[in-house]
Amino acid sequence: MKRFLRVALLIALLAAALFALYLDWRVTDEFTGRRWALPARVYARPLELFPGAALTPPQLVQELELLGYKRGIEGMEPGRFEPRAGGVDLVTRPFAFWDGAQPALALRLEFRDDRLDALWDQGNYTELKLARLDPLPIGGIYPAHNEDRVLVKLDEAPRELVSALLAMEDRQFYSHIGVDPRGVARAALSTLTGRGVQGGSTLTQQLVKNYFLTPERTLRRKATEMLMALLLELHYAKDEILEAYLNEIYLGQDRNRAIHGFGLAAHYYFDKPLNRLTLADSALLVGMVKGPALYDPHRHPQRALERRNLVLSEMRGLGYITPEQALRAKAEPLGVVAKPGIGTSPHPAFLELVRRQLRQDYDEDDLRSEGLKIFTTLDPHAQRAAERALTNRLAILDRARKDGQPPLEGAAVVTSTATGEVQALVGGRDVRYQGFNRALDAQRPVGSLLKPAVYLAALSRPQQYTLVTPLSDERFVWKSRGAPDWEPQNYDRKYHGRVPLRTALAESYNVATARLGTELGIPKVLETMHRLGIEHELPPYAATLLGAVDLTPFEVTQMYQTLASGGFRTPLRAIREVLTADGQPLKRYGLSVEQVVEPAPVYLVTAAMQDVVREGTARGLTAFLSPTLNIAGKTGTTDELRDSWFAGFTGDYLAVAWVGYDDNRPSRLTGASGAMTVWGELMAPIAREPLVPPLPENVEQVTIDPRSGLRAGFGCDGAVELPFLAGTAPVAVSDCAAPPPPAPEKKEKPPAKSWWQRLFE
Amino acid sequence: MRRFSLSILFLLAAFAAGCAALPPAPAPKTPEEKVASTPVSSSGAVVALADSARTDVAAGNYASASAALERALRIEPRNARLWHELAQLKLKQGDASQAANMAARSNSWAGADKVLRAANWRVIGEAKRALGDETGANAAFDKADKLIR
Repeated sequence: MKRFLRVALLIALLAAALFALYLDWRVTDEFTGRRWALPARVYARPLELFPGAALTPPQLVQELELLGYKRGIEGMEPGRFEPRAGGVDLVTRPFAFWDGAQPALALRLEFRDDRLDALWDQGNYTELKLARLDPLPIGGIYPAHNEDRVLVKLDEAPRELVSALLAMEDRQFYSHIGVDPRGVARAALSTLTGRGVQGGSTLTQQLVKNYFLTPERTLRRKATEMLMALLLELHYAKDEILEAYLNEIYLGQDRNRAIHGFGLAAHYYFDKPLNRLTLADSALLVGMVKGPALYDPHRHPQRALERRNLVLSEMRGLGYITPEQALRAKAEPLGVVAKPGIGTSPHPAFLELVRRQLRQDYDEDDLRSEGLKIFTTLDPHAQRAAERALTNRLAILDRARKDGQPPLEGAAVVTSTATGEVQALVGGRDVRYQGFNRALDAQRPVGSLLKPAVYLAALSRPQQYTLVTPLSDERFVWKSRGAPDWEPQNYDRKYHGRVPLRTALAESYNVATARLGTELGIPKVLETMHRLGIEHELPPYAATLLGAVDLTPFEVTQMYQTLASGGFRTPLRAIREVLTADGQPLKRYGLSVEQVVEPAPVYLVTAAMQDVVREGTARGLTAFLSPTLNIAGKTGTTDELRDSWFAGFTGDYLAVAWVGYDDNRPSRLTGASGAMTVWGELMAPIAREPLVPPLPENVEQVTIDPRSGLRAGFGCDGAVELPFLAGTAPVAVSDCAAPPPPAPEKKEKPPAKSWWQRLFE
Repeated sequence: MRRFSLSILFLLAAFAAGCAALPPAPAPKTPEEKVASTPVSSSGAVVALADSARTDVAAGNYASASAALERALRIEPRNARLWHELAQLKLKQGDASQAANMAARSNSWAGADKVLRAANWRVIGEAKRALGDETGANAAFDKADKLIR
């Protein structure tokens, strides 16, 4: 029996020793590198400042306020600005960009005619050609539990912060061995008397608890915690342990983002770096350690204030501060900045796109832990315009219905026409919501949005089709083997006889388009759609011509991007550059273009899409935007008015908007009554450049009499300039003085092998 | 009087120097060289970025050069010259396909600038040659020649 006891004891001791060894291995292994998982930080595009930039003082001030610049210049202190007559003075924050660092610059900006006119470096009174503001942080890609922190070193922490921490949490810190015997005794007593496992934690134990363990309260876990605390003290110096504590401790919650460490807490609560915290600030943060939710200064300011003042009293009692210091600090207000919670990002839909594009090159774990710096293409001005337009217009559309319909949903994508950079993306009317991203994931029937591809395919055969070629909009039945007969209808349920090609697109006639598409050959048209950038599989049926295919707003944007850039497919990009945590360039996502369609037919179809806005289904856009912008666009409406779309572009921006219901019920909106209003309101504050596509060398402008479709002759009122491939314009001249002749069946003289045709061969 | 004769002497010397500089025709410039000798833009910011790109190229730092040119393009997206510079850079980087596409994009904005268009066709020619399309390359070089003839 005795022998058995001895063996049992031996085994128990051995097990305990093995366990201690295991813990020792864990402590040293995990703690030595002490690598906190740092989220990837994501930035918007930096605002470029240069003479000639389209920028007004109010826009600049808006951007500066978004960046947290404060009013009032104070010497060379970065992050401050001051509006003046005719301009703005500011001191930029230093920032390490992908292509090099820019120091803090004291700038004087002068404006004229809605443009930045001159840019002075006040440091040496020279005129600058180019400078950048620091980019706006727009969120992060976070480690597990969305832990966020800004790493700090012990010597960056104000002395008062450390003494406050020791006063409140662990007065014996510098003398104990990891656990405080008196604390242990107290804890043991409370456990034995049945008051639960609690209290008596040293800083070291708190660190162990946060760093290594899960937050359950059992006796065994408490024992493990103590053992690990002892081991930690055995291996590491007090200051190392304290520094780790400063970075690890949980100090609050910003929506779904967890605020860890005093470095981030200083930024989050006071918008200051750690070393600039005052005594009162430090006392407040230390007071929160015990219960960040309980003493949340935003939600419970009174309770937080009392707690802060208790900390100050304790510090005074221990002689860490003088009674005067305590008195003065207690008289201060809380001083926390009232920042709206942004959680992991104020623009979660755009961030989701960034994350998806990054995932093609990076491991999810690296994104969440390596502290990468991601420079994106987001334009905060465009993003705000898109968010406001969508929420505002959907509210107006909802109000106009008053029939117990649930709230509408929507999505919008904005890109730069020239570079394919995504400047804004909104995934739903609750723009802060991180869930279903309609811009990227809502696959909806696109309706007439695909029509430009049908007309592009036609205009790519210039010998057969020009903008004035008459098309038949008469009853049409498409029979194909193995499929029911297909008889497309026009939106107005009428037939329009013979209509010029450009009118068929401008008025979005389904029947004429179906006839045209089947004449061209469905595979041919689908090929054009794929060329334009639709990677999604397209059903090889006639109904696809009229958009009976589900695409996301983002996919539609890619297709229109190719049209907006003159036939050059440009992949949509949300990321420009990636830097490592210490600022080394890691990867650049460069511009690439691929000519997929000849410039001439794209030019012609763009002219027809300008007619859509000038005189077709989108003429209501003039309520939002000046006709001088020459916008090219297309409305999209689907069966039973389920989906409302608008896609279009100016000289500088392309945008696609969708409005409808998630559950597919009819929205009872046309493209023009729904999405187009979102588009118009979105574009109004950002569009500046009129759409003037470059005239391809083989295209000529000819004045046409729209009634006859012939060259306008003497006396023709309302003649229009239309582009034609050289040699394909009508030859006959309309004699408007005489009664108009019947529209010609075919072009009088199809020129045999024109010079441009030879050019392409 | 002395001064008068001296100034005549100077005038004569200047005249002689002018004559000397005129006749021997400089080596014929390629369209690319002609393009490179004209300013990229009237915007100081764009010129500065194009200059820094050129410095980067000389130092073999192609990534920085691309970044600078793309930054310039964001300022002036319709600047045919910047697209041409990017095309040249892509050629240097060995990305012939992008070089040809960028040159085509430059052509779409080049308008009546025949020298620039010729330079672009020569980039397309070199790109096609690099891609093994000798026929296409020759056709492109022919186009370049016709434009500047």
